[in-house]
Amino acid sequence: MKEFSVKFILPDGFLIFKRPVIKTATVAKGTDLLTAATKAGVILNATCGGDGLCGKCKVVVNKKTVPACETLVESDLEVRVPKGSLEVRIKSSLSAEEFTKGIVLKRENAYKHSPMVRKIYLKLPELTANDNASDLDRLYRELAGKIDGVHISAKFASVKFLSGTLRDSDFQVTVTLGLKDGHFEIISVEPGDTTKASYGFAFDIGTTTVAGQLVDLNTREILGTRIAFNKQAAYGSDVITRIIFASVPEGLEKAHKAVVSNMNEMIGDLIKAYKVNLADVYAIACAGNMTMMHLLLKVDPSAIRKPPYLPATTAFPTIHSSEVEIEANPKGLISFLPGVSTYVGGDIVAGILACGIFETDELSLLIDIGTNGELVLGNKEWMIGAAASAGPAFEGSGLSCGMKAVKGAVQKVRIDEDLSVHCDVIGNGKPSGVCGSGYIDLLCQMLKRGIIDKSGKINKDTKSGRIRLGETRPEFVVAFKSESGAGKDVVINEDDIENIKRSKGAIYSAVIALLAKVEKDIKDVKKIYIAGGFGNYLNIENAICIGLLPDVERGRYEFVGNSSLAGARMSLLSTEALEKTGDIAKNITYIDLSAEPAYMDEYIASLFFPHTNLWRFPSVR
Amino acid sequence: MPIELVKEKYSTPINTVEIGLGAQTVKIGGESTLPFLFDEGSMPNAPIVAPEILDCEPTEWSESLKGPFGDSMKDPVRWASKCVKDFNAKILCVRLQSTHPDYGGKNADHVIPIVNAIAKSAGVPLIIIGGGDDERDNDVLPKVSQALKGENCLFGIATQNNYKTLAATCLADGHSIIAESPIDINIAKQVNILISDMGFDPARIVMHPTTTSLGYGMEYVYSIMERGRLAAFIGDKMLAMPFVLFVGSEVWKTKESKESGAAQGINWEVATAVSMLQAGADLLVMRHPDAARTITKYIEIAMDRGGNK
Repeated sequence: MKEFSVKFILPDGFLIFKRPVIKTATVAKGTDLLTAATKAGVILNATCGGDGLCGKCKVVVNKKTVPACETLVESDLEVRVPKGSLEVRIKSSLSAEEFTKGIVLKRENAYKHSPMVRKIYLKLPELTANDNASDLDRLYRELAGKIDGVHISAKFASVKFLSGTLRDSDFQVTVTLGLKDGHFEIISVEPGDTTKASYGFAFDIGTTTVAGQLVDLNTREILGTRIAFNKQAAYGSDVITRIIFASVPEGLEKAHKAVVSNMNEMIGDLIKAYKVNLADVYAIACAGNMTMMHLLLKVDPSAIRKPPYLPATTAFPTIHSSEVEIEANPKGLISFLPGVSTYVGGDIVAGILACGIFETDELSLLIDIGTNGELVLGNKEWMIGAAASAGPAFEGSGLSCGMKAVKGAVQKVRIDEDLSVHCDVIGNGKPSGVCGSGYIDLLCQMLKRGIIDKSGKINKDTKSGRIRLGETRPEFVVAFKSESGAGKDVVINEDDIENIKRSKGAIYSAVIALLAKVEKDIKDVKKIYIAGGFGNYLNIENAICIGLLPDVERGRYEFVGNSSLAGARMSLLSTEALEKTGDIAKNITYIDLSAEPAYMDEYIASLFFPHTNLWRFPSVR
Repeated sequence: MPIELVKEKYSTPINTVEIGLGAQTVKIGGESTLPFLFDEGSMPNAPIVAPEILDCEPTEWSESLKGPFGDSMKDPVRWASKCVKDFNAKILCVRLQSTHPDYGGKNADHVIPIVNAIAKSAGVPLIIIGGGDDERDNDVLPKVSQALKGENCLFGIATQNNYKTLAATCLADGHSIIAESPIDINIAKQVNILISDMGFDPARIVMHPTTTSLGYGMEYVYSIMERGRLAAFIGDKMLAMPFVLFVGSEVWKTKESKESGAAQGINWEVATAVSMLQAGADLLVMRHPDAARTITKYIEIAMDRGGNK
């Protein structure tokens, strides 16, 4: 087969010693440039996953701008890569920032402190002539009194060197037990007392965002948190594109590696920051949607998108970290929170665990605002759940100046009557972009000041230097280049507003449709939990003002932040909690909103600020 | 055993919109029932037909449609007079087609004298519709609106993406406005809210739910109109506007109306118009005089049957 060499010339920002960076790949004739670029280590933007739809992978060949995914290599080539085409998300994960330790929930310690992996220090009685029990039996005998009524088994690796370890340590050892398949397994036996060093990670694997947390299993203290964009985004921004991408073995391998590298980076970063030894990381609890779990475990997800839309399983078994190349103690365990159905995953079950809806008498609602908005309504008697395709706008993705809730993100906004803008920036520096909570404030303020009308169109007649015609669309300047930390104006344009409008419409209409399904009114719901990757703050009033959340008494709302991560953390720290997740998953009935005729109508009615039926929002003026 | 008919009574009537001045004023809307169900409510104003003329000689009209107007079509002013004198029009719709780039892209200076002359000689209330090119409409319509200031015309067409200029100018010059939506009850309501938010009196808005011809998805329009009406009757003020339907222009672009002789086209327009009347139309903009005459008669009979005159 004929092969050609393709040279990729990176933009000026990547100059090293004043010489442009050139990366080269040798590829077969007919290979597309997107694949060639990836081979050369140049990761281009391609939210559609190379389907030729998103138009983001533009490169310059022979002075002509072409989409890389649709351009085939027919000869040796020199390809210039414009700055805008480089995948920036990959970079951002390397500088993932700690945003705080997150929101601590009231129910944080609702369950008995009994980590899924625990260490027990044992001093075995001296060997005597009339006690001929084997070394392992002697361990079992000692443990029997210390673990309540659960069957114990041993991993072969921990038996292999048991005799030596016991004798070398004078029969004083620390046994590490992990809950696996409903019973405890001895995953390691170490000499001496190492019970103090026992750490775990909780992960929330989202379609757009991955969050990881280092937790001290002994003290239940959260040591640090990292968030980053999911690196799989390079293979498509939504779940369906990712499934298609991962439907072939090479794609699955890439998607798997991407998220594993997300997790490993976070683990590496946090253990370094908190001086934790990697070998002391024994337990990981993961919550995520069904597709993310499939991709993480390298399980073919293709059946998820073909009727009747089934996952391989909704409850993946606990595995050893070595089985998926996660960098922790290889004997350590990784547990996955079970899901309900293809579209209501373990992340939502985690959320229910964290909010405690399943243990209350009163009717409660959890709204998790992510790439897929998920909702669960119910109480201790019953629960129903649904998913709505909201898109990643509130996670700061897919918007011209959107960013995660990290340092430099505008998280609160106020606009005065003279249209001057006051931003509260995470980390108190200059604004580089806007995160979810910032966009909610921004839109509400723009509506109040008449900068946009109720359909989200920017009022071009408003006299202000902040309102102008952008490249193709009218836009509003949140921060001018001189005030911004991004080296450019921070703006919001009509496309961004349209995007947010669709997201908020999908969430709100799903709430109404779900309530209608059980013939309930929003007024019957006594408690509403809002979860999502907005950051540490969400102005409920403003979220109601733009029509994202129903207009009810504000006291009924509670913002719980990343409840998926919280639920994973609770499961990590309590086997009781972990066991509850199975019950929760079984008790939620899944409702397919797309099969509800009223849903589409509700959705269109929601594409307005706050809503086409203004009487639904009596307190919004 | 006698059968007791189930009767619905509604709380809120549709707004009444007045077009024109003095004795010539035409009132549309005001009904408190679905069409012609006089046991349930009243229809104080009968639906009305407005013949549609263009401000330039039509180039795409079929022979059977042009026939009745003869060479009056060469001059929009004569054409208008013919509609009033020969075909008994009580209200006229003038489409400013010449302003569209595809039909000459004429500007306001060209159009205003024509419209003024029509207003003067026809002596009936006017509906003025732009050429359909947003940019040109936003340039021409404000000037025409100003020229007709105080005449209490009905101007169109405002859409979700282009409503501000027309609403502002109608507000300033005292005209009513047509708000259009693409066969969607929610968008219909949204456009009404957006226009009202500019300070426009909702009682001066006429809704265009999009017209389609018989055989081209008319059922969808029918059901959207019916849903809108039912919502309005139970109190949704942002849907309580009369309906205008552009039956003529929709029917006469179908191949069915152009082929198989004049009778088929006329019948097609009649069938479409009757359906729209039964869906709740208050104002029908039509093209063929024979179809218009038949529909006017139909309205008379339907209104009379209820003893509602």
